[in-house]
Amino acid sequence: MIRTVLAFFAFALVVCALIVFRPFSESQDMAATGSASDVEVTRAITPAEPVVAPAAQAIQPQPQAPRPRRPETSDVSMDDMTASVLADLGFETETPEAPNVEEQQIETTAGILASIESVTGQQVELAPRQTLRTLVVTALREGQSDDYIDALVNEAAATGRVTVPEVMVTSDGRVDTAVLLENLVTHAIIASGGNVPVPDVDPTTNPGVEVRVVQRAQDAVQARFYTVQTGDSLGAIAVKFYGRVDLFDRIFEANRQTLSSPDLIRTGQRLVIPALDA
Amino acid sequence: MKALGLAMVLTTAIAGMAVAQDVRITTFRDSSTFVLNGKSFTIDRIQDRDNVLTGEFARTSRQCPPFCIQPMIVAEGVATVGELEVMDFLETTASGGRGLLIDSRLPEWFASGTIPGAVNVPFMTLEAENRFRDDILVALGAQPQEDGSLDFAEAMDLMLFCNGPWCGQSPRAIEALVEAGYPAGKLSYYRGGMQAWSQLGLSVMIPSTEG
Repeated sequence: MIRTVLAFFAFALVVCALIVFRPFSESQDMAATGSASDVEVTRAITPAEPVVAPAAQAIQPQPQAPRPRRPETSDVSMDDMTASVLADLGFETETPEAPNVEEQQIETTAGILASIESVTGQQVELAPRQTLRTLVVTALREGQSDDYIDALVNEAAATGRVTVPEVMVTSDGRVDTAVLLENLVTHAIIASGGNVPVPDVDPTTNPGVEVRVVQRAQDAVQARFYTVQTGDSLGAIAVKFYGRVDLFDRIFEANRQTLSSPDLIRTGQRLVIPALDA
Repeated sequence: MKALGLAMVLTTAIAGMAVAQDVRITTFRDSSTFVLNGKSFTIDRIQDRDNVLTGEFARTSRQCPPFCIQPMIVAEGVATVGELEVMDFLETTASGGRGLLIDSRLPEWFASGTIPGAVNVPFMTLEAENRFRDDILVALGAQPQEDGSLDFAEAMDLMLFCNGPWCGQSPRAIEALVEAGYPAGKLSYYRGGMQAWSQLGLSVMIPSTEG
């Protein structure tokens, strides 16, 4: 009986370990499988379509350079991050601020250190930590340039000092601070009662954009596709097509088959861009 | 009359002493006293021999999962201990500054009553998801190395407990500590937890009022 229990326990442990570490997840296999799988999958979706030239160029295999460390992502959504930064900057935002996991962890840990100290009498202090929020707010207050903020955030993310929302991770493993800064502006406009127009994306001037007419049983619909360019984040793609970061979910949901997580988009990957009113 | 009064007082005092010694911890000791960081703690037992458990610790059938029966040995090299070892640990190792008794439960449970001298370190704060786990480990005596790893040679001895044999929180905390590199020999597990502690009528500390 004990053996059975232990066996089950061990099995549960292994399952938990697999879930936590995801040894077979796409993030680690990515370099190996590369863009070859993209070609197959996208063709499977539209078998009769000829592949147009710009896309074909983009699908060329990338040179296998050693990958830089990918930024660590957090569960904080882009909107909560934006709302908290705006709140820190004194804006009235429309949504109540959701609890931030990282900031809660800092608070809990500081509490534990205090109670350990109360029993041992040995002074222990939590080293001051920066979060993406404090980093961006401080830089904005200082009036730093976008480039400076980008370099600052990327340096902090590359050394694992801050975590970032998934939609900010680009196809080449950097942090897309432009999309955060853009979202700050969008939210500030919405907060002050303004409207954010849906941009009109011209396929002839925007690399990677394709517009096709797809024949369905009853009717024909216009479908848009986008081939991920170097340096794109899912958030930036949502801004490009919808004008708003928070609609990234539409693109993510429509591409679940080839995209396991919003931070794992790859250069050359072909994404379906669903129409907003559909 | 005076003599009668004196006799009554004496009788009451003797009866009182007799009651105080009625429910001892062991034959030769009636309480455990120790000092942590200048603060004195005493553990003894409820002297009312008709006292019975009510409420949370009188329950027999919690849903499993998650409240499943825990094994006697939770990890290789981690000793499982009973109440007397908990008191010894507090009197010697903890009061000597070389160890900590850790309540692995959530703060709400800790606040509702814990073993005197225990420190609340909720199990999930020791898991890898807590990005500040290393700060806790350093507070427990681990030394940060130049390459970013931790050296546990000088780390404190930790004794962990939660709600009892049906509580998986301290086993999870132990597992997380071992995974973080904490030496199993420095860890022990009080499996009986608050359930067995309360069952024996041992002193329970309410942290909010007693510090």
